Amino acid sequence: MSKIEEVKAKVEAGKSKLVPGLVQEALDEGNSPADILQAMVDSMGVVGDKFSSGEIFVPEMLIAAKAMSKGVEVLKPLMAGDGSTSLGTCIIGTVAGDLHDIGKNLVSMMIESAGFDMVDLGVDVPADTFVQAVNDNANVKLVACSGLLTTTMPALKEAVQTIKAAHPEMKVIVGGAPVTPEYAAEVGADGYAPDAGSAAVKAKELVTA
Amino acid sequence: MLTKRQNLMEVIKGGNPNRFVNQYEFMDLIMEAPMDLPLAPAPGTRVKNKWGITFDWPADQIGSFPMHDDEHKALKDITDWKNQVKAPAIETSEEAWAAAVAHANSVDRNDKFVTAFCAPGIFEMTHHLMSMEDALMALYEEPEAMKELIDYVVEYELAYAAEYLKHIQPDALFHHDDWGSQISTFISPAMFDEFILPAYKKVYGFWKANGVELIVHHSDSYAATLVPEMIEMGVDIWQGVMTTNNVPELIKKYGGQISFMGDIDSGRVDFPGWTREKIYEDAKKACEECGKLYFIPNLSQGLNISSFPGVYEATSEVIDQLSKEMF
Repeated sequence: MSKIEEVKAKVEAGKSKLVPGLVQEALDEGNSPADILQAMVDSMGVVGDKFSSGEIFVPEMLIAAKAMSKGVEVLKPLMAGDGSTSLGTCIIGTVAGDLHDIGKNLVSMMIESAGFDMVDLGVDVPADTFVQAVNDNANVKLVACSGLLTTTMPALKEAVQTIKAAHPEMKVIVGGAPVTPEYAAEVGADGYAPDAGSAAVKAKELVTA
Repeated sequence: MLTKRQNLMEVIKGGNPNRFVNQYEFMDLIMEAPMDLPLAPAPGTRVKNKWGITFDWPADQIGSFPMHDDEHKALKDITDWKNQVKAPAIETSEEAWAAAVAHANSVDRNDKFVTAFCAPGIFEMTHHLMSMEDALMALYEEPEAMKELIDYVVEYELAYAAEYLKHIQPDALFHHDDWGSQISTFISPAMFDEFILPAYKKVYGFWKANGVELIVHHSDSYAATLVPEMIEMGVDIWQGVMTTNNVPELIKKYGGQISFMGDIDSGRVDFPGWTREKIYEDAKKACEECGKLYFIPNLSQGLNISSFPGVYEATSEVIDQLSKEMF
């Protein structure tokens, strides 16, 4: 197995203590940072698919993402200023009136693992704050809004419509337990995902279409 | 006419109930017992409980949340849990238990089960202490420390149970522990078997060995894949079972070994614009699909309340109506 294949395997298995050393060994073998990063992104794609299909669960996804982030730390100094590997910036947050953060955090982690730079606004985020974040950050390609409660669905709608009013071309993806594809379409979102694994796939699809 | 308790027993034993068990009617919950409940008491309040966990209930929300920022997280390093986690002392005085004893003595046990209440659950305690992300990763990264922490929580629960039994002989236990999201369990069944199942076998085994007839476990989530474990640990009724579990299928597969209480999702019917018609629609579907045995129609909420005024009561009225229509 090549070093780059080993990196892929250990990221998928969530071996965060082993991955940094393997990334360094892969670099020493002459692999480019971009290729190693892509290998880890591919690994997380597999992890996301397995999560979506119910083959693995949240702990396995968390430790894989942690392993990848440890690997990325090794690559970062070598890739500083190299925007070519990023899919752009994604703004993420849970909408106003809703304090649920676990699902949003998982989605953030998986979208980051797919190659985005994340700006996490946290929970209970007013619609205007999403717009402000789009204005304040460079290269924003996607906004991800989460809502877990039936009672905060109107806030989700308001967030999407406020973002779209200010930035009509901005891609917006929504999710959360009560959200359906029909509801996502009704409120004007560009994409919907039922779980963190498919959110990463959908995010990539939206900005590369 | 069967009493509420008799009717419940007919339902869970596969006998001849003469109506649906109506939500929590068979349990008289002794909420006065001196257990340190985890939640902030009301909107706009914040409390630090006796485990050192801070719960915040913002004014405009429908529930309270444990806080896990750097300032408030109670357990910051699982490998140092012995220094960072301290279980509260258990109340032993007659005075502390007096209100609970008086309540229990007032219950007609022919009609209802005197029911002990325990929350949070063992799994919940781990993530309340250290955050969901830290707790779930620690199951992989520091499994021995997690097992020790879980054992520590179990010892606390057993000590509480022993003290409870000195003052009150409950007929039933209602115990919370959410084990999943709406569509999946948080951890795999294999991981559940390693960490959580042994803990509950001890706790539920202790209550049952000391005369508790009925164990009701609350998890308002998906947990269909954990039903064999629930049976093994001694659960008689899974309360909070959501529609995502395909309850009619579970009844076909496991009816007689365990009963299911729920199948009316609070999230679908309990909101500011609720209507009796919507509740009737969901409750009727549940009752028609699940049938009269091994099933108790109920909101998925973990107590005999609703988030918005009137929903619990309207649901009870609807279930009475469905009993008249279907029995």
